[in-house]
Amino acid sequence: MSKNSNLELFRRGIPQELIFIFLTVFSVFLLVIDTKTTWLDTVRQTLSLSLYPAQKAVMSPRDVVLWGQGVMNAAELIQNENEALQRRRIELAQVASTAAQLSTENAQLRRLLGMQNDKNERPALVAEILYEAPTPFNRRLIFDRGALDGVAPGMPVIDEGGLVGQIVRVTPMSSEAALLTDEVVSIPVQLGRTGLRLIAFGSNYAGKIEVRYFESDADIKPGDLLFTSGIGGAYPPGLTVGRIDTVDRDATSGFARAIVTPASHPDRYRHFLILRNVPSAVQNTTPTAANPVKVPSSVKTTNVPLTNPTGDARARRSNN
Amino acid sequence: MRDVRTIKRLGSRSYDTTISPSLAATARRTNDPLTIGINGRWVWGSIAIAFLVSLLPWRTLPFSPDLLLLVIAFWCVHDSQRIGLLTAFCLGLLIDVQSVAPLGQHALMYVLVCFGGVLISRRLQRFDLLRQALHMMPIFILGFSITFIVVAALKGFWPGWAWVGASFFTALLWVPFGWLLQMPVNRLASQSLGQG
Repeated sequence: MSKNSNLELFRRGIPQELIFIFLTVFSVFLLVIDTKTTWLDTVRQTLSLSLYPAQKAVMSPRDVVLWGQGVMNAAELIQNENEALQRRRIELAQVASTAAQLSTENAQLRRLLGMQNDKNERPALVAEILYEAPTPFNRRLIFDRGALDGVAPGMPVIDEGGLVGQIVRVTPMSSEAALLTDEVVSIPVQLGRTGLRLIAFGSNYAGKIEVRYFESDADIKPGDLLFTSGIGGAYPPGLTVGRIDTVDRDATSGFARAIVTPASHPDRYRHFLILRNVPSAVQNTTPTAANPVKVPSSVKTTNVPLTNPTGDARARRSNN
Repeated sequence: MRDVRTIKRLGSRSYDTTISPSLAATARRTNDPLTIGINGRWVWGSIAIAFLVSLLPWRTLPFSPDLLLLVIAFWCVHDSQRIGLLTAFCLGLLIDVQSVAPLGQHALMYVLVCFGGVLISRRLQRFDLLRQALHMMPIFILGFSITFIVVAALKGFWPGWAWVGASFFTALLWVPFGWLLQMPVNRLASQSLGQG
């Protein structure tokens, strides 16, 4: 201890213990504010903007390697892609002719019934994954398009398989999408075979989603396809959501639930489409625990908000 | 008047040149023999590199350690003059933003672990890196546990147990990373041995 030739005979400045207590309390305070409200979003956006150059710089080697690989294997890649596209074109030609026929028929029937014709235009934006969120609490993807590109919370994200998730938070340069498997996402869906309306939630099983609150004698079988129903307005109708894996019928409660494998592959590719038709219901309100999205009368029996993009899981549970 | 001013200036200048370097040297020196010869550029540089590495996508892998926390905790223990709880808090906030965690999650974890390190830093300096890692292990696990319990309570669901492995792994990496971070010291020591 005699070696300890520090000039400070007495400790000056604020004691470490006080700093520790202050910072701990402040962290917990921030945590509470940030999980319960959206007040800190501007702080997050500012910090995120300052982080963006560092993120881009760190990711640049990966981009260079990918670009290099692309250049090296360009011929082979293009050939493979061309073959796949040719196949797809033939498949789609048939589908397109049927679709055209169906859409004229549909329009005619709608006219006959006097229904409004909903516009099926979906202006979209291609976004690339910046990175995947490294947190066990959420299943999120961060894209390189933000508010400056016209991305807004509530917009659905799709890939070639189907619905991937929903944009939940936007910063000027980037945006954050909750995957279908995230706890906070709930999607109004429809069974392709029978037209049964259901609601799909994120599940505890890794990479799966769950359909809950339907009667145990409902006509659902493994292998059935689920599509978005368009109810609630957050998602356009007709996007593929997934395929039923197993149906778990509980005779005692009278309700059943089914495990669904999503049709999209958020872990496979880097490019996704953000659909820009934000419905008016989601555009202006940010649903939180205090202010959940209004539930349309058609799904009132389940009493669950259709979407809860920025709120926490508890908001949904308190409603169950 | 002019004379008095000149004398004052001269006085202060001579004071600066003769005493200041040694004063600075003694004032900066901690009682830690492991970090004599480590300068601020090395400390801050290592933190910056750890931060940039933390922005890479490898952290989504299961049991991935928190290297930034490791480096900050190491300097909190061995160079508490430069790196303190406030640094840990600010960097924690930045990591929160990057990993889209609720603001305060990593900040709380970093502050808890670093304070644990500061508390036992005097004791730690008597041990080699392996024993230091064993001392730090409960602190890492406790810091992770408290943070995950608080966040799970606020979020309303439990994220599984992968983080226990992560905290354990982070503590184990104290040995190789401690060796890396002390490289300037080791080099100085080997030089002096060679001269002697």
